[in-house]
Amino acid sequence: MEPLIRLENVSFSYKINEQTKVPVLRDIDFSIYPGEYVAIIGHNGSGKSTLSKHLNGILTPDNGDVWIHGYNTKNVNQKRAIRQTVGTVFQHPDNQIVATIVEEDVAFGLENINIPREEMRQRVDEALDVVKMSPFRHRPPHHLSGGQKQRVAIAGVLAMRPECIVFDEATSMLDSFGRKEVLQVMRKMNDKGMTIITVTHHMSEAAEADRIIVIEGGQIVMDGPAREIFKHKHELEQLQLEVPAVSQMAELIHNRFAEFSKDIIQESEFIEEVVKLSKEEVS
Amino acid sequence: MSSEFEISKRITIGQYVPTGSFIHRLDPRVKVFAFTILVLAIALNTSYIGNTIGLVLSLYLFWVSKIPIRYGLSGIIPAIPFIVILAVLQLLFQGQLFSHGKVYVDYGFILITSESIRLVVVSAVRFVEIIFLSSVLTLATSTTELTHSIQSLLSPLKKIKFPVHEISLITTIAIRFVPTFAIEMEKMMKAQASRGADFGTGGWWRIIQRTKETFPIIIPLFNIALSRAEDLILAMESRCYTPGGERSSYTTYQIAAKDYLALVTGLLFAILLFAYPFPI
Amino acid sequence: MAGRPIIEIENLSHTYMKGTPMEHVALKGANLFVEEGECVAIIGHTGSGKSTLIQHFNGLMRPESGKVLIDGEDLSNKKVNLKTLRQKVGLVFQNPEDQIFEKIIGDDIAYGPFKLGLPLKEVRERVKWAMSVVGLDFEGMIDRQTFALSGGQKRKVALAGILALKPKILVLDEPTAGLDPRSRNELLDNIKRLNKEEKLTVIFVSHNMEEVALLADRVYVMADGTDVLNGTPKEIFTDKEKLQRYHIGTPESVQVLYRLTDLGYEVKTDAFSITEAANEIIKVLACKKECSKHVQRI
Repeated sequence: MEPLIRLENVSFSYKINEQTKVPVLRDIDFSIYPGEYVAIIGHNGSGKSTLSKHLNGILTPDNGDVWIHGYNTKNVNQKRAIRQTVGTVFQHPDNQIVATIVEEDVAFGLENINIPREEMRQRVDEALDVVKMSPFRHRPPHHLSGGQKQRVAIAGVLAMRPECIVFDEATSMLDSFGRKEVLQVMRKMNDKGMTIITVTHHMSEAAEADRIIVIEGGQIVMDGPAREIFKHKHELEQLQLEVPAVSQMAELIHNRFAEFSKDIIQESEFIEEVVKLSKEEVS
Repeated sequence: MSSEFEISKRITIGQYVPTGSFIHRLDPRVKVFAFTILVLAIALNTSYIGNTIGLVLSLYLFWVSKIPIRYGLSGIIPAIPFIVILAVLQLLFQGQLFSHGKVYVDYGFILITSESIRLVVVSAVRFVEIIFLSSVLTLATSTTELTHSIQSLLSPLKKIKFPVHEISLITTIAIRFVPTFAIEMEKMMKAQASRGADFGTGGWWRIIQRTKETFPIIIPLFNIALSRAEDLILAMESRCYTPGGERSSYTTYQIAAKDYLALVTGLLFAILLFAYPFPI
Repeated sequence: MAGRPIIEIENLSHTYMKGTPMEHVALKGANLFVEEGECVAIIGHTGSGKSTLIQHFNGLMRPESGKVLIDGEDLSNKKVNLKTLRQKVGLVFQNPEDQIFEKIIGDDIAYGPFKLGLPLKEVRERVKWAMSVVGLDFEGMIDRQTFALSGGQKRKVALAGILALKPKILVLDEPTAGLDPRSRNELLDNIKRLNKEEKLTVIFVSHNMEEVALLADRVYVMADGTDVLNGTPKEIFTDKEKLQRYHIGTPESVQVLYRLTDLGYEVKTDAFSITEAANEIIKVLACKKECSKHVQRI
């Protein structure tokens, strides 16, 4: 299968002035395939946010290349095609809403790519439906809760019908309910075949993904299935990260009952394991 | 008893009062256009009768739009000192320019004539009318509709390469961020007050001290504004915004019979006020 | 803990923009009592009135109706000295790093103490103390530029700026929002230490139930502008029906235990830490083992 996003030896540094450069990304190399659900984790300052800005050409690498469906992000003429393929939802709900009315904000991207009005209406309706914000379509955004604003932002990206959405710490400013709302939308879209990339430092959120990429000091230090990554509890702790609460619990139980699997990362799995084990014992 | 910091709650820009009245339902372009010509006609009218008509008309519009008149009054009250000072100055110093009327007072450089009194009264009333009219317009039209209509009314200027879209987008974003910044500013004032800051304590003549007192508010707000702007640019770029690019438009307005009716009525009043030779 | 009451709020109400169409009731008949030295969490859904409530603690808002007594002082009295009050009650807003405005760390932390009119030497002592409490190296950091700090460090500076006022009561609104796991744990340790060792009364608003379970002696639940529930974390998080009614989350560990009780397992749901919760489950599994042996014997 052809990768949707391919990074080849990507390096990037921020220039403070002519003499001083701060390297942020070093030799990053990975591919993301259509339909994947990938979490990029790392502590603050590890470079994960800079990395996510390379995924739709907001930033372009100093060295190396980023290919989106065979388009190079350095090619200015293909910017539009690239951004229609990969959409981004940012951290601050307040700073990405442009219009004074919800539905007009959702339409903003469509106006930019010159979609005819009839089709625009239809796409806005659909997008608001997916994130369950249709009842709020005529509201001004500053009356909405954080989770609702973030869902409006998602609708704005969805309406563009991208193949992949990058969530750049999109849940970090939300309360647990807002976070749940957004996570449900992410899961739902991935089930429909959308490629999801989430940048986060919430481990229970990362556990939702199929694959985890761990960034430290601008380099990839781990890349693999979520379950594999969370087996490396000590390495993660050294990287100022942790494993999900259920994994921690599973390990403690495993130490007492070796039959209890310690490779558990999601709550539902954990419950299943408890049920399975207690049944076995009885029989 | 309320707090001294509640700015966000008091902000009145775009204080839309949705009553769903006839005025509310009009095509915003028609509204903006009709209100503009009415304001112009009033501004050029110097007769007592003409301005009485204007005043009655503006009060009537409040009634039609089902908006309580105190909203209009709240726009006038802060302007009263200004109106009074203007009136006094005009009364004292403008007489010489209007010496053709009947002379009431002639004392040194002070000359008060029937014409200068007319000027004073008419100016004050005109002021009130214009505030009333613009209040009705902004109270009965959402900010979104206002920007749309301004964009649409300015669109002929595109031919001379005037950046209509950009200007209207900038306006929309500015309006969109007014409440956000009001909240931010309120929070900042509260946060700094929590660590002992005081605002506006020195008398107004202690300008340096008073300016210094605003630093703990202004500097962080400036930083926040910059970082928000940066975020916003990224978000807009990610959604394919290209300045000057061809864009389609989501909102459209259909002009209906009631809009023509409103337009014609507005025009008639404007012509009446502008051209009719009122006796006084 | 039968300490002296330090915050007493009774029947407090507040309505924003009274008499306009934008009228909005933020508080109606809220009550809150905090004893000296306690650590109290306030939780509740967005819009439940938490922020309005905490802004009454240091006189940013005056009681519209109802009673607010802070350390024995009645805030409805207009003559209350707000400066002294705000020194006594240190209020840390959400994302406090936004309020840093000086170029140098030391200057920013010293802003509050200078505003109190303290002599330079005392200010320096306080800045030193505040920095050590939040875990910033005084010698190494005091002259550093504020803009180059990481998010977690900026938050420490902002917290130190409040602590330098030497408040008796520390009020924090969402203290850990947006921090990564390590910065979060460091900050929580600091808060705990301030409460236990420096004997500050701590009141914090949080959405993170792990934090609430970890830190709080007592929890107030706010909903629709009033306090609907209060008690120890154990009492609050075991009241499943009310938690659902007021849209309150639970710590992850408790959520797992709830799901198990739903399936008919007899686990106690007041285990907040990972270890406690794991032990609960181990107990159940062990019991099953015992029980099944028992069955075999018969």
